[in-house]
Amino acid sequence: MSGRRSPAARTSASDRVARLLAIVPWIAARDGPTLDEVSARFGVPRAKLEEDLQVLAMVGLPPYTPDTLIEVVIEDGRVWLRFADVFARPLHLTPEQALALVAAGAASQALPGGDTDGPLASALAKLADVLGIDPTEAVSVTLGESRPDVLDALRSAVAEGRRVRIDYYSYGRDERTARTVDPHAVFAHQGAWYLRGWCHLARDRRVFRVDRIVEATVLDEPVERSPTPEDGADDPFALGPDVPRVVLELEPGARWVVETYPVDEVEELGEGRLRVRLAVAATPWLERLLVRLGPAARVVAADEPALAEAGVRAARRILDRYRR
Amino acid sequence: MSAAKLERLLNLTALLLATPRPVSAEEIHERLREHYAEDADAFRRAFERDKDALRSMGVPIVVETVPGVVPAVDGYRIPRDRYYLRDPGLTPEELAALRLAASVVRLEGLSARDALMKLGGFVGEGDEGLGLSVDSLPAAGVAPLFGAITDRHPVRFRYRGTERVVDPYRLDFARGRWYLSGHDHTRGADRLFRLDRLESPIEVVADRTFERPPVPQPGLPLDPWQLGEGEATEARVSVDAAQAPWIVQHLGPDAVVEERADGSVVVAMTVTNVENFRSFVLTFLDHAEILEPPELRDDLIAWLERQVAA
Repeated sequence: MSGRRSPAARTSASDRVARLLAIVPWIAARDGPTLDEVSARFGVPRAKLEEDLQVLAMVGLPPYTPDTLIEVVIEDGRVWLRFADVFARPLHLTPEQALALVAAGAASQALPGGDTDGPLASALAKLADVLGIDPTEAVSVTLGESRPDVLDALRSAVAEGRRVRIDYYSYGRDERTARTVDPHAVFAHQGAWYLRGWCHLARDRRVFRVDRIVEATVLDEPVERSPTPEDGADDPFALGPDVPRVVLELEPGARWVVETYPVDEVEELGEGRLRVRLAVAATPWLERLLVRLGPAARVVAADEPALAEAGVRAARRILDRYRR
Repeated sequence: MSAAKLERLLNLTALLLATPRPVSAEEIHERLREHYAEDADAFRRAFERDKDALRSMGVPIVVETVPGVVPAVDGYRIPRDRYYLRDPGLTPEELAALRLAASVVRLEGLSARDALMKLGGFVGEGDEGLGLSVDSLPAAGVAPLFGAITDRHPVRFRYRGTERVVDPYRLDFARGRWYLSGHDHTRGADRLFRLDRLESPIEVVADRTFERPPVPQPGLPLDPWQLGEGEATEARVSVDAAQAPWIVQHLGPDAVVEERADGSVVVAMTVTNVENFRSFVLTFLDHAEILEPPELRDDLIAWLERQVAA
């Protein structure tokens, strides 16, 4: 199960209290569930569960005479609780807990094959009702844009270990190519979907943005190169030392560059201005950045002389189109 | 942690939950004397720690004046309507669907585990064999806003150099970021806020509530060229064949006003932020062209000419 906090992050005291406050109403509402069932359902080892139930037998209300304590009966591996009315319902959901479920549910509904009228949708509607919100109005989550058929094709290719052919528009290189890929993983990262795999065109590992895949066809061939442990171990977006670098001076209005792209170095120049060193994976990427930034950026050094002129060259090319 | 502490916290919770009237600290000490030290100072320290521990779990312990006692003394209780989770009546299939969703999509630092336990435990399987994975979504500052949305409390924070009081309506996660939309009292209008741009912590104005407008609140436009406060202009942009599928997917098929024989498309865009619009069109380099209106076309040409001349 995800999201489990490290034991040090929360004292086990609170953990045990929280767990019992959730388990007690569940057991009390049933006629003697087995300890094994409770243990599996609430993810607590049976020995720990029995320990906690022992403690529960010491809990009750003043004057703490036997008839005011919670009665815990354990027999033949089954458990009954009586006089636990004070804990008849679990503790309400905290905003953190409610958000974790509602956001996960909203995001999952948009996944391929996601259900908009099945159990997830009805669960979210019931939850929203308890929270006093409209199920569709309070939270929406878009993990990334993609054509639903493309994402679904890639997902099943990964699940079934089959090769996939993609028609891909490379944004960085500004070119469209057909590639055959042995898919290793499809993942959502910072608001976009990506496909990671072995690209037969590049003969190397590659990461593709799914929203730039125009079409995906699952092939009959099985994947030849399965993911090795090193696949996915390193940052898939890291650019190696062999990639040329440029140094830019940015005006205050262009500081978003640092938040958006990985930079090797940042130096404050005062008054909000920055000097940054960036890797340039492909020239069109830099062209785009420079024409967008305009006077807010200046190339002060470049590993390749052509890169220093990239912005002006691209601006001329675009202007040519407007003057046709 | 000792069984004694577990026992004490549960008994304290039971006591405060069962009592219809606030109970003073002295009375708690008296009733739970088996659980606390006899010394008044030692009791007070332990009681404060226990209160904090319970509150951090979300147990709503309120402080009220004990009625009929002179001079006035603080008392404690847990209002049942704020403690008990109303039973949503989830079926096993629904619980399993929630568990699956929560195992695929996680929020940084937030656990769906505790929520699932309260709703009836872990039913069904995790995310095995789904064929896709999702990095944890950022969640800093999001939960208090979600709480304010469900409880209809205004929130206060600093944004673009101004102190804002906002009735929060909805949260949208898109392009890797959270956005809050709501009614900004400072500006007297509905507004969209990027959570990573808040300039102060969020303060929930818990002693006030707002009425949510009865009409459904659509998500405000998130596209950067619509984030301005200028007058809306309808622009037409032609995009070359290679980039056409992407823009059509991004804007939706309704935005396409013309499909040309060479595979290029003309799309319509409503622009309220000229700078962001220009920046967006330029990401296509020479594969896109603003056709209309002339002002936006001239703006882009002038922008590029300055760059060439520099």
